[in-house]
Amino acid sequence: MEDKFDRGSALTIFPSDRHEDLMALILSLVIAALVYFLV
Amino acid sequence: MVYTKRTFWPLIIGIIMVGYAFLVQTGQMAGLIKFLNTGRYVGEMLTLGYAFGGVAIVAGLWHLLARPSEGHADYYFSTIAGVMFIMLVAFVVKWGLDPLMSNWGRAAQSTLGFNFARIMNLNYVVMGILAGIIVVNVFKVPVWAENGVRLSRLGLKTGVILLGALYSFAELAQLGKLSVVLIGVFVLGSVWLVLIIGARRSLPNSMTGVLSAGVGVCGVSAAVATAPVVQAKSLEIAYTIGTILLFGVVCMFLFPIVGKQLGMGYVQFGAWAGTGILNSAQVAGAALAFQPDGIETLKVAEIFNITRVLFLPIIVVWLAIWYVRREQAAQRDVQKVDAMQVVISKFPIFVIGFILMFLLSSTGIFAPARHYQGSYFDNSEKALMKKDRAGKAIDNHLKPGEIETLQKELDKIKRDDQKAALGRLIQNRKIMSEEDDAMVRGVINSKALSKEGTAVLSKSHRVVRHTAAKISKFRDLIAWFFTFGLVGLGMQITMSSIRQAGGQPLVIGSIVGVIKAVGSLIVVMLLVAETI
Repeated sequence: MEDKFDRGSALTIFPSDRHEDLMALILSLVIAALVYFLV
Repeated sequence: MVYTKRTFWPLIIGIIMVGYAFLVQTGQMAGLIKFLNTGRYVGEMLTLGYAFGGVAIVAGLWHLLARPSEGHADYYFSTIAGVMFIMLVAFVVKWGLDPLMSNWGRAAQSTLGFNFARIMNLNYVVMGILAGIIVVNVFKVPVWAENGVRLSRLGLKTGVILLGALYSFAELAQLGKLSVVLIGVFVLGSVWLVLIIGARRSLPNSMTGVLSAGVGVCGVSAAVATAPVVQAKSLEIAYTIGTILLFGVVCMFLFPIVGKQLGMGYVQFGAWAGTGILNSAQVAGAALAFQPDGIETLKVAEIFNITRVLFLPIIVVWLAIWYVRREQAAQRDVQKVDAMQVVISKFPIFVIGFILMFLLSSTGIFAPARHYQGSYFDNSEKALMKKDRAGKAIDNHLKPGEIETLQKELDKIKRDDQKAALGRLIQNRKIMSEEDDAMVRGVINSKALSKEGTAVLSKSHRVVRHTAAKISKFRDLIAWFFTFGLVGLGMQITMSSIRQAGGQPLVIGSIVGVIKAVGSLIVVMLLVAETI
């Protein structure tokens, strides 16, 4: 899949591991907030 | 490059998901659900079916009607179709193939003499990963879904961060200590072993360096993180990734089978998988494959995995210094390394997220701070006075008849501390503390009382133990994030990437990988107790 994408890599849509980590962190905090307020 | 492809498939997927949820809701799937024994999943069939189906329909209309040009909107919106594709495969496997295989396994048991589904560990995790591998290697991932499949690692990392909400201080402290010792020995040991064998076999320093990080720390990510500091070439990175993938896939399927045959418990298997398997995603895969109906093994394995990931910056600095020395000794020009800069740039942020989630949970915002696996003690009047569906009050204090039963049998209890706890229960009509609750559970387990007496004690215990709804929701969400990530991971295991493995790197990687897997198995079996 290496040449099919001009952004990210074959394993991720993000430019680096750090970007992916930060997105996972943001997503988790959003989910935690939803669980806290809605459940 | 435009990523949004014109296709009707996301729309079809959305209609299938919403249609299935509707059929379940109207009871038309009752026969199938009964046959497959999937009644416990009806709630999530409705919620996830409608939610993901709705999103897939919107994404499908976008794919059909939008005229996207190159840019962020095209790039990010086009990932939704891939996510829906993975979820559809996950739904089919979890609600269809997994229970069907269980049925077949049981049905064939009398003919074969063994339950093949259980022996081969054919649960939804294993079949989800296998389905992904089959999709990518036999049918190919559809072009419109390819961008979204690259979100599977994000799903796994989000699952790991959310997992932080489920640990108690005691668990984390004990598992942390154990993992630092085991991981320290096996990670540093396997990196050192690859460096020694690589030097003996005259492998280039760059090849040895990148292979040692891949085999020693956390697989593909470690190999990619180390590659620049040891100036590894693309081919050397490809050799390493091929070796790790080949070895990791074999381990992911083999470890749970071996673990079950050896009768390992959750803690032992989690410790072994977290130490012995090379790649982070495959650790999660093996842990969930070992225990598909719960996440206790995953919790243990992830502590070991996170500890291993935390070793990454240290290993990168070590390898950078090792590489500079080797190259200088060989009279070759090489740049000096700033150790602090390497540590900061390689530190995995998602581990900070995991710790943050653990600290948030420890404040008691998701469950009382002293909860254990979502269960907590509360004997307040408010907790004991409930209302039924009709709004009628239910008093869960002991009734006079129940008190009489316990009073009659009090003399059967020989231990003074247990007798005192039961005395307080009789006097106050409820269990008075967590310590008393532990005593009552002891009496229940000892079966010292009659059936009626034990039933009264069980009820007293039940009404003061509560499951935190928020923690329960976290468990469900985490299981789905990992399922999504692992099915997507299967779709990224291509035969072409595995075929890259070969030559000396494969031999050295396999030798060290086997030593690590067998060595950690022996240590875990000998030294790790099942209870934490």
